[in-house]
Amino acid sequence: MMPIWTKSGEKRPVTLLKVQDCHVLRYVSKEESGGKTAKLLVGGKNVSPFSKPESAHEIFKEAGVPRKQKVSTFNVTDDAIIKPGTPLYAAHFRPGQFVDVTAKTIGKGFQGVMKRWGFKGQPASHGQTKTHRRPGAISTNKAAKVYRGKKMPGKMGNIYRTSFGLKVWRINTKHDIIYVNGSVPGHTNCLVKVRDSKLPTYKDCNKNPPFPTFFADGDEELPEDLFDEEIFQFTDPSVTFA
Amino acid sequence: RVSSDGKPPKFQPPPKPVIVDRKTQKEESRFLSPEFIPPRGRTDPLKYYIERKDMIQRRKVFNIPEFYVGSVLAVTTADPCASDKSKRFVGICIQRGGKGLGATFVLRNVIEDQGVEICYELYSPRIQAIEVLKLEKRLDENLTYLRDALPEYSTFDVNMRPVPRMAHEEIPVNKVQVRMKPKPWSKRWERPKYNIKGIKFELPEHKMKAAQKWSQPWLEFDMLREYDTSKIEEKIRKELSEELEK
Repeated sequence: MMPIWTKSGEKRPVTLLKVQDCHVLRYVSKEESGGKTAKLLVGGKNVSPFSKPESAHEIFKEAGVPRKQKVSTFNVTDDAIIKPGTPLYAAHFRPGQFVDVTAKTIGKGFQGVMKRWGFKGQPASHGQTKTHRRPGAISTNKAAKVYRGKKMPGKMGNIYRTSFGLKVWRINTKHDIIYVNGSVPGHTNCLVKVRDSKLPTYKDCNKNPPFPTFFADGDEELPEDLFDEEIFQFTDPSVTFA
Repeated sequence: RVSSDGKPPKFQPPPKPVIVDRKTQKEESRFLSPEFIPPRGRTDPLKYYIERKDMIQRRKVFNIPEFYVGSVLAVTTADPCASDKSKRFVGICIQRGGKGLGATFVLRNVIEDQGVEICYELYSPRIQAIEVLKLEKRLDENLTYLRDALPEYSTFDVNMRPVPRMAHEEIPVNKVQVRMKPKPWSKRWERPKYNIKGIKFELPEHKMKAAQKWSQPWLEFDMLREYDTSKIEEKIRKELSEELEK
């Protein structure tokens, strides 16, 4: 994470996400998957092929791509289908877009009810016998049972969570890095899934995105860094208020 | 001397003295700002490389001078509420924190009997000028104890003139021993964990001895805490000097 400054001098925290060896692996049509839209399987981050059996390598061999650490599905409309085997780059996103980021949260292991669910516990003194961090009562008398989903101690973290509506401030095309506003679930160097935002406020935000994706062998020549309009670039002199 | 052709020997002027200026021949200042050194962790070094590129870019446009904890600085920042749209603050640097673009330094001064500390970010675009009025080091890296010291040690004249300093001189170390206000202090500065050398403790002997109870003499032998930055520093210095010459 890193600070970034706007043209009016305000500081914003920013997370750096690296697009590492992403390739489209397979196209699954609407009828095949049984969902509402067609799906594209995308894999990221190359990993050694020796730790899994040959049967697991079939998808990668069809696409002509080394074995990937993570394979995820994206729901896609029919006009955005991409041929399996095309690499995906950070330039697929543009500054000013809004993005949802999903990742597995940091695992905290088996945790008690105060840390996991934020219960208040009991006082430290005034006669409390061996009861300082316990849940207390778990149900009423009339119910005569404990409801399903009752908040109790258990394994905390290491589940998929999404942060919605994060603005993309800057894109580095040389190293394939996306600068995304705010924080993102997961530990440093963890695998992360980035999608266009589904929030209704940002429905019409993408003005002219590269559609279906940014192709590196195309005619478009992008500069090394793409900035949002409001970012203060370090090549400019210091901010002054008129 | 054997005279040539019987004439008196031709006048040989004495050899011109060669002035060897030892000071300029000394290596250039080996100062590397502490925010360039990456902390020890599991982050990808690519992140620090990208951050350093941004820091170098800012340093090309705006001059961030060399300064240490204990030097007196004057900082002008842009402010939309001020009448001249800019504010100037003079103070002694108490501590330098943060790594990378978020590096900060805290300036302290006593204005009209009120102690004021302001924390500035080195790479913030709002800062318009940083001048070093007095460049010097102190015996400690962290001067937060000045909050509990007598106010005369933190007062600096707002209209102070910059103290002239010869190039290639060694940075002077101010060995002043600061006198404190009566206890209680904000932190127990006499304890060995703070390792402060710049205070003149006027506490009784038994209190100083009791404070040594909290000493941890095994810490200096702990090998897992060692972080040797010499090689990393060399690489970063080379990178910096190459980029700044462009």
